[in-house]
Amino acid sequence: MFKLDRKSILIGASAFASTALLFTGCLSSSTGVDEKASAPSNAITAPSTLGEYAIKNKTAIDGGVTYVRANGVETAYAYNQQSTKGVSFGRRATPNEIKAWDLDALPDGTGLPEGEGTVEEGDELYEAQCASCHGEFGAGGKGYPQLTGGNQSKDENGVVITLKNQRVYGKTDAPKRTIGTYWPKATTLFTYIRDAMPYAHPKSLTDNETYAITAYLLAQNGIKIDGEEMDEEYALNKEKLVKVVLPNNNGFYPNIDGPNGPENVRAFFADRAKNIGAGVRCMKDCKDPGGQDGKTEAGVVKIKYEMSDVVPPYSTVRDLPPEVEDKTVSKAEKMYNQSCKLCHATPQMGAPAVGDIDAWKDVLAKGFDKVVINAITGMGGMPPKGGNEDLTNTDVKLIVEFMVDSSKEKH
Amino acid sequence: MAKMKIKAKEKKGVVKVKAMFTSLMADKEEAEKKKIKVDYIRQIVAKINGKVVYEVTTSGFMAENPLIKFKTKGGKKGDKIEFTTTDNNGKTATSKKKIK
Ligand code: HEC
Ligand code: HEC
Repeated sequence: MFKLDRKSILIGASAFASTALLFTGCLSSSTGVDEKASAPSNAITAPSTLGEYAIKNKTAIDGGVTYVRANGVETAYAYNQQSTKGVSFGRRATPNEIKAWDLDALPDGTGLPEGEGTVEEGDELYEAQCASCHGEFGAGGKGYPQLTGGNQSKDENGVVITLKNQRVYGKTDAPKRTIGTYWPKATTLFTYIRDAMPYAHPKSLTDNETYAITAYLLAQNGIKIDGEEMDEEYALNKEKLVKVVLPNNNGFYPNIDGPNGPENVRAFFADRAKNIGAGVRCMKDCKDPGGQDGKTEAGVVKIKYEMSDVVPPYSTVRDLPPEVEDKTVSKAEKMYNQSCKLCHATPQMGAPAVGDIDAWKDVLAKGFDKVVINAITGMGGMPPKGGNEDLTNTDVKLIVEFMVDSSKEKH
Repeated sequence: MAKMKIKAKEKKGVVKVKAMFTSLMADKEEAEKKKIKVDYIRQIVAKINGKVVYEVTTSGFMAENPLIKFKTKGGKKGDKIEFTTTDNNGKTATSKKKIK
């Protein structure tokens, strides 16, 4: 839910700057007073009082200056105070526009849609639409983010090894940021998948499907809900999702949630030396951290010995090697090499590999034309036109013909 | 003890099997470096209807939480596939899953 209370201003300062404009027309000048009378009823009119405008003593949450606006609100951004006479602020968003935009969900469940999906259904969907990028069981390994793993189990002392604790217990590996070790809230998982995944066609999943995939990923991360293990039949819905407590729920500091959030952050940054390391903000004549007294010299590190005996020698020329036209390579093959080979040369990416006769027999079972359409519109891990929007539909057809021809039994 | 995730699916007589095992796969060298206990899976065996369909010797060369995949004709829908792992201390763990 979008809640523009005074407190969130400090956290989402830049977002606020633009939304504030939209909602209150805060750039008003005192001359804007009687615009109200003549404006259409849904036009945004400027409030009549001019905000007092000064740099306050209190620092912004990250230690920077703050500016005071009207009615006691402060922000980290200075507003442009020019007269806005004649500036159109547009019209108010309609309730339907707001509804279409206002899709996020709070950890308490506000904003989550109704719906239900089981771990097993999620497994099927995951396999078809996500595994090609995120790996089997969410284990990663295909160059895209890992969604499980990181050993978020309990260690020998009974401590859940979340991101916060992964280093403490003697491991030298970098912490793995997965749902089970890093994410604080499960509701975000739902909205993230619904709004952003699968990568090539976001927003294509229904709410039920999204609940199913969320259930699957939580199960793969070994999450229990209300003490209950999530087996294959486990059906996830709004009520149950809200009950999920992810292992790293309390791994973030300072606590930015709730009305005290900004003050917590301010206190945290106020003690920079302890919480972040010594140092003051500095844009010129900076001394090294030890030099806060202004005496120590700047600790800028420079390269002492330039390496010059490299082969081939360093050069600033940026030409690519001249292209040699290879007459034996068809246009289709060239386009294939440029836009498709990356994924289709081997089966590693989950794509039917060119030359794999059986794989292409399976693909062609649905008919050549349908396959061409799939290549154009994308499917599963296959982005539309292989991600190259510049290809025409005819180009794609030519390439698919080439791929099919190269994957036939040779006599 | 190694936890496992198993997935087995039959299509046209061929069972595609995927399995992942929770283990740090830390051999002696790695364990010393990371100051943790030596902990790796030494052997993985898969059986369908009591018949071995897959067997492999493993060690620290495999990544943390190793994933294996194989195809077999030794089973059909409804059969149970059973995995047994043996760790470096000889401790075994077993888990079963129905073939879909
Ligand atoms: C074409 C490859 C691709 C496919 C298919 C895909 N994703 Fe992603 N996924 C990505 C990329 C790339 C990111 C990172 C996006 C970013 O950080 O901006 C990502 C990020 C994520 C994340 C956030 C990971 C994190 O911890 O930050 C989740 C959760 C996720 N995907 C779930 C899914 C689900 C569920 C599906 C299937 C419905 C899916 N993805 C399909 C490429 C893919
Ligand atoms: C980012 C990786 C990637 C790239 C780049 C890519 N593909 Fe694919 N392609 C895939 C994957 C993964 C599949 C399997 C999709 C599935 O089965 O869900 C696939 C499947 C296909 C199929 C089979 C469709 C079907 O109906 O089964 C065709 C045809 C195809 N790709 C053509 C192309 C062409 C043409 C290009 C270049 C213009 C291309 N691909 C580039 C990943 C890729």
